[in-house]
Amino acid sequence: MTLQVMSGNSAQSYAAALARVHVIAAYPITPQTTIVEKLADFAASGQLPAQFVKVESEHSALQVCVSASSLGARTYTATSSQGLLLMHELLHWAAGLRTPIVMGVVNRAVAPPWNLGADHTDTMSQRDTGWVQFYAESNQEVLDTVLQAYRLAEDPAVRLPVMVTEDAFYLSHTVEPVEVPAQTEVDAFLPAREARAVLVPGRAARLGSFTGPDHYVEFRHEVAQAMARVPEVFRGVEEDYRSRMHRYHGGAVATYRVDDADAVLVTMGTMSTTARSVVDELRAEGRKVGLAKLRLFRPFPAAEFRELAGLVDRIGVVDRSFTFGAEGPAATEVAAAIYSGPHHPFLTNYMVGLGGREVTPQLVRAIFDRLLGAEGPGTRWMDLPQDAGEVTHG
Amino acid sequence: MAKLTIPAQELLRSGHSACPGCAPALAMRLMLKGLGPRTIVSIPACCWTVIDTPYPTTALGVAMLDNPIESTGASISGLRAAADALGIPDVTILGFAGDGGTADIGLQALSGMLERRTNAIYAMYDNEAYMNTGVQRSGATPLGAWTTTTPVGEGSHGKAEPKKDVMGIVLAHHPVYAATVNPSFPEDFVKKVEKARDLSGPRFFHIFAPCPPGWRYPSDQSIEIGKRATDCGVFPLYEVMDGHYHITRKGGALKPVREYFQAQGRFSHLGDADLDRVQAQVTADWNRLVRLESET
Amino acid sequence: MAAVIEIRFHGRGGQGAVVASELLAQAAFLDGKWPQSFPFFGVERRGAPVTAYTRIDTHPLGVRTSITTPDVVVVLEPSLLRTQPVTDGLRDGGLLLVNSSHPAEELVLPAGGRRAAVDANRIAVTHGLGSLTMPIVNTAMLGALAAVTDVVSMEALDRAIQEFVPARRPENQAAASDGYHDVRVVGGTLPFTPSVPRAAAATLPLPEGPMASESSERYHTADWRTLRPVIHLEKCTRCNFCWKFCPDDAFSFDAEGYPVLRTDYCKGCGICAVECPPRAIEMVEEA
Repeated sequence: MTLQVMSGNSAQSYAAALARVHVIAAYPITPQTTIVEKLADFAASGQLPAQFVKVESEHSALQVCVSASSLGARTYTATSSQGLLLMHELLHWAAGLRTPIVMGVVNRAVAPPWNLGADHTDTMSQRDTGWVQFYAESNQEVLDTVLQAYRLAEDPAVRLPVMVTEDAFYLSHTVEPVEVPAQTEVDAFLPAREARAVLVPGRAARLGSFTGPDHYVEFRHEVAQAMARVPEVFRGVEEDYRSRMHRYHGGAVATYRVDDADAVLVTMGTMSTTARSVVDELRAEGRKVGLAKLRLFRPFPAAEFRELAGLVDRIGVVDRSFTFGAEGPAATEVAAAIYSGPHHPFLTNYMVGLGGREVTPQLVRAIFDRLLGAEGPGTRWMDLPQDAGEVTHG
Repeated sequence: MAKLTIPAQELLRSGHSACPGCAPALAMRLMLKGLGPRTIVSIPACCWTVIDTPYPTTALGVAMLDNPIESTGASISGLRAAADALGIPDVTILGFAGDGGTADIGLQALSGMLERRTNAIYAMYDNEAYMNTGVQRSGATPLGAWTTTTPVGEGSHGKAEPKKDVMGIVLAHHPVYAATVNPSFPEDFVKKVEKARDLSGPRFFHIFAPCPPGWRYPSDQSIEIGKRATDCGVFPLYEVMDGHYHITRKGGALKPVREYFQAQGRFSHLGDADLDRVQAQVTADWNRLVRLESET
Repeated sequence: MAAVIEIRFHGRGGQGAVVASELLAQAAFLDGKWPQSFPFFGVERRGAPVTAYTRIDTHPLGVRTSITTPDVVVVLEPSLLRTQPVTDGLRDGGLLLVNSSHPAEELVLPAGGRRAAVDANRIAVTHGLGSLTMPIVNTAMLGALAAVTDVVSMEALDRAIQEFVPARRPENQAAASDGYHDVRVVGGTLPFTPSVPRAAAATLPLPEGPMASESSERYHTADWRTLRPVIHLEKCTRCNFCWKFCPDDAFSFDAEGYPVLRTDYCKGCGICAVECPPRAIEMVEEA
């Protein structure tokens, strides 16, 4: 284990290399590019004995990974924003073929207008594709989650692809100290992929196939069941990682000072760090507030939110993307999760940080002020003047 | 019994769902005779998606992967990368795609696969339209052909644009081997496939693949139509290796294109003037090919 | 009478079963009825079995499912009687209408019943509709249907052909008229047969991921053919051309090297007969 100062993108690259991936395929896009540049260096120097396929599009990048994984290879790709949108069709293929691909995604705004800033619209619009989705808060969490993602994806009970996301620039290009485990430690945690249900040369079998309504339902249900097994498998993976590497990122939902809180904010990604500091400041002022960092978005950790609903009176969900015609996607998910539980605290939605707009301590403080005060329904776009910032659907 | 002129091993199973007289089915049979059982084939959305039969059966005696319509080139790059990374020996990677999935929506992935020198074979079975969806024009549909999207009537005379030169596009990438094959000439077909099998690097086949319902001719005529196409110069048989052209079937003077066109309902609206223009183009193309052979 | 009449068509890809179901709907609409028609989308290939449905009511229909208990079953291709469960669910008092060169009396139903027969192949060929191997019989069959049921009037059918058939309208009108006059029906009531559901979904454990590894040879595609090759061994030179050019891999060899037809799989395309150098293969009509 060594402590190195590195960017979130480097953390992705180091993790993929430590996972001993067989095949990497990627196409450049800002701000993901340095991930694949570093992996290309690893491969070119012989440090990483992987096949690096330089493709002509993100669509082909994911197809290369899907096909390579169908033959039993451990694969990695990374993308962002428009690139992820171009992959959309293949995202469905990866899940339907049960290929345990791991992909790094740098969360970036979607055009038009062109914008390179942090924004969760790219991954949120892929949430129905059958991929497990993790949102990271720090470069350390990026590295650890990528390694955990391979164990989770390749678990016989899961066998689904996983994306590990990081906010553009706030992680991708931010350098900070990261503990890098030794190769032997990673090898002990993450053994070689067990090749199950893959194509074998000389064996007549067709992977993919086509069906009428008869078998189609069953295959979709299998994916649904595999997704439902993720929380339990992930708990085991994270515990094993903790016992070996002595690091733990708090499960699917990492809560902070929620036990006697009047109001809790739900955050994702890098804004969680800032929000946690604001919680400490407000607590020092005697205001009972807390934080719930949403780390695993798919499958959605509904049980954790039903439990949280029993502890607090007010929940504010902070989204970094917006579903036009509805509200922030995390808000919808939290509302749906607690509906079936016995406790129904006041729930509202805040829109922040689109296109890389800063999420400052002042902004988080203003959100808590509103949440603790008389808050109305609808989604409050906090980056706009108050009289312009409400979007409410009747 | 006469000696078999093509390998006896059958890797295409009966019971498949191809239409009666389907040349793409015969093309797969010949392709796999040449490549053998250690082939992994990636197939996009096309007639062959359906021909192979629904889950839980397959009509191929080899491993097969489905891929979406536009990404066959990338899929075979991925299969090759995995085979190399995992050290799987003696495996042949084949992409087997229709003309729409190759010449139109799949052109980018094909170009990428050729340019990055993927060690795999890409075969385009060219039935000259989107047949799986019911005969819509593709970039590979020839000039004048009726399809459901190039109807014949007042103001429309079949397809108004000439066929895309896919071999020309492929050859601009300098593959190690590229050849045209036609199931009407099985010995030539299999010989070229066996030659390609033993090479390394990107290889390409343009397969002539007549379609009885789409081209509007009786199902027993698939082989005859194919013979005419080659013998009149519409679909010459040749191969290009390391930039050298070699015409593999030269039967003396070309036959008139009329015999080929008049055998198909999709061309039945074409008149003498149309066919004269087609004849002039086919003759010019053939002369160019002969020149390329002598010059390279 | 029952408010809704349900008609199920069985044919082969290319015969016009789907067009028949739509044309019947158009004609019923001209009769002032409220029709609904749709095909079952499966593996439609030229020659492969195809199913299509038409419902006819006097007011908007409240159901959008396949027809499992038809009042009328129309079979566009007689060989389907052997290979497809065409009479499944046919209602008590229902009617089976078949394209057949045999008289209706010879039609065998599992439990007797009303059946009608018309030689629609002959009618179609007479009027130049389709080819000898694949006659397009849909309009002749609809004419017969108009004669033996009250689901549609001949006047409406004739108008529907004029308005909606894309080509050869006079020939199709004539074929419908011939079907109307030539059809023969024999009586009796058909006991109600409970519908057999479609092949049930797999109850066996599915593999991890959609991996298909069984052989397609379970499908006997001989069901598709209307013509069958007969090999005249006395003319055969054992050149293997029939085997070499067969898209269905439907030839094997006997110990002496003579070709043997794998009759379960031949789709009857006729390539072998055309390519056979000594003309030792003859295509004959499937019995």
